[in-house]
Amino acid sequence: MIAAKLPTGTGHPIRAAAWRWTWRIAGVALLCYLPVVLTQRAAFGVALSNMQLLNLGLTQINLMLIMMLGALSLTYLTGSAGLVSIGHGAFYAVGAMTAAFTGTQLDWPFPLVLVAAAVAGALAGTLAGLPSLRVRGLYLLLATFAMHFIVHFLFSEYQYKSFDVVGVPYKEASLGPLLLSTPMRWYFFLLVLVAVVFALLRNSLRTREGRALMAMRDHELAATAAGIDVRILRVKAFAFSSSIAALAGAVYAYYMTTVTPEFFGILFAIQFIAIIIVGGMGSLAGALAGTALWLLLPSVITGIADQAGGATGALGRVLSVHKPQLVNLIFGLLVIAFLIFAPGGIAAMVRRLRQRFFARAAP
Amino acid sequence: MLAQVLFSGLALGSIYGLVAMGFALIFKATDVFNFATGMLVVLGAYLTYTAVAALQLPFAVAIVFIVVGAALVGTVIHVLLIQPLSGQPLLSVIMVTIALSSVLGSVLVMTYGTQGLIVETPLPRGNFVLGGVRVSQLHLIAALTSWACMAGFGAFFRFTSTGLLMRATAAGHEAAVVSGVNVNRMNRLAWAIGSVLAAIGGVFLCQLQMASVELERIGLLALPAVVIGGLQSIPGAVVGGLLVGLIEQLSSTYVSPKSADMFIYGLLLLILLVRPWGLFGQRELGRV
Repeated sequence: MIAAKLPTGTGHPIRAAAWRWTWRIAGVALLCYLPVVLTQRAAFGVALSNMQLLNLGLTQINLMLIMMLGALSLTYLTGSAGLVSIGHGAFYAVGAMTAAFTGTQLDWPFPLVLVAAAVAGALAGTLAGLPSLRVRGLYLLLATFAMHFIVHFLFSEYQYKSFDVVGVPYKEASLGPLLLSTPMRWYFFLLVLVAVVFALLRNSLRTREGRALMAMRDHELAATAAGIDVRILRVKAFAFSSSIAALAGAVYAYYMTTVTPEFFGILFAIQFIAIIIVGGMGSLAGALAGTALWLLLPSVITGIADQAGGATGALGRVLSVHKPQLVNLIFGLLVIAFLIFAPGGIAAMVRRLRQRFFARAAP
Repeated sequence: MLAQVLFSGLALGSIYGLVAMGFALIFKATDVFNFATGMLVVLGAYLTYTAVAALQLPFAVAIVFIVVGAALVGTVIHVLLIQPLSGQPLLSVIMVTIALSSVLGSVLVMTYGTQGLIVETPLPRGNFVLGGVRVSQLHLIAALTSWACMAGFGAFFRFTSTGLLMRATAAGHEAAVVSGVNVNRMNRLAWAIGSVLAAIGGVFLCQLQMASVELERIGLLALPAVVIGGLQSIPGAVVGGLLVGLIEQLSSTYVSPKSADMFIYGLLLLILLVRPWGLFGQRELGRV
């Protein structure tokens, strides 16, 4: 009976492609309209309350985008290459230091500063990757842990020697004639940057070297036996990942206009690991989802706290006074819950849902 | 001056050695690199504050309170967080301890406030001069107590049957299970003891400074101490602690106050590159 209904998923290919493109265009349109909504606090003329906008402002979205760069590079390193690193705070700091040196002291233009930061990051990453030639797993984590404190100290010294005690200042960022002066301009710049980095990382995983990386993660001995030079690959992965992190650090520094070494403390580094665990290690889309969660959680908690603060006495006081601790607490519990119950993170959960509801029937 | 610095370095180093010993114990028993050690030290500090300032307990009772409290927390941590993650890869368990330190820190700040709390105990705080060196009584007591604890636990492991069972479990899990040892109970005990040791470190550190979350930074110094000494070696952890204490005091006095971190972690990095198994550890032979 050829006229029988085709099973779901094996539908008309052109219609399916048309649907995909519609979704993509809608998504891009949404992303472009979002900053307008957040700036005007209204959508299509209808005013929205703070609670409805989830207490988000464009500043937070921009910070989220900057964090996404770090999350993407870390999940690339940890998930796809199988190398553990707690050093992303240090690499952001390296980028900020390079930006201070080339931008503020040498007065280079912004795009060149970013390039310099990426190069510095690659160099730092190569240095950081060197211990991985000798030590594995836990010891590599320790090496990056040690590196974190060393870089922190160096940044501190650099700040005191070259600038003043308040912080390291940065010039205004400008892409040629375009001055990044408003949050909306930053938003679009960052959005493009995140999209480019995402595409870069995703495509690099599809190349020969990317597959070699995954082979190295899965079974190093077998990869070596297959002729992959594991040592050089490891260092390259570190260099690549940290150059992106340093780039993000430079962008962060310019965005904040003044930074201190405290910005890049161990808590900052830990947040990246928490984000990629929640998102799913190795999944680039998961890194984005994890960062979004990291952004939304404090806003939602702030909203709840503000609403409950007026209502119940003691609980409301705790919620309002200790908001940052509450955020850390809930995020920490979330990470623990994910580690125990859903080790694959959001990415694995989505994959399972997809398989259950959109499974293609066997042809 | 140098003698002064050496003395305080050794005194602080004894405290670090104590915390490092607890850390090494947990690592030897359960193979978990406990990043929450720093927070356990802070827990000890806040428990001291609660016992002495808030509850106004007599000092002996306060000590019991702190020890029992820390042991309880350690056991709960093992049961809730470590046991469920039995077969998981290393990074997951390490991340759980990192998340745990974050959770613990938040709870402590929410309970006790963000300001550091001053802890007054009956322990003497004066100084006396011994051979030209100004000796702080508190430092001396801290050092002596640390050594007493280390000796006590060393004896426990050497001479009691429970200690022997713990060592056996740490040496080979499967063999222990086959021999009828309740491995989970041994691990719980290891965690309880490790937490108590960290808490005792916190008891002294909070008197030398203040009871606050900042102590975590100091507690985390046990990590390089253990790695430098040798991850699988408990005496190595003690030596590592002493070394870290000496380096800290020497560099703070002769170079700059903030440089201590760099020297300690620089040494850690060097050891990882040159001799990853530490000064006293055993070279790990893996099957290729």
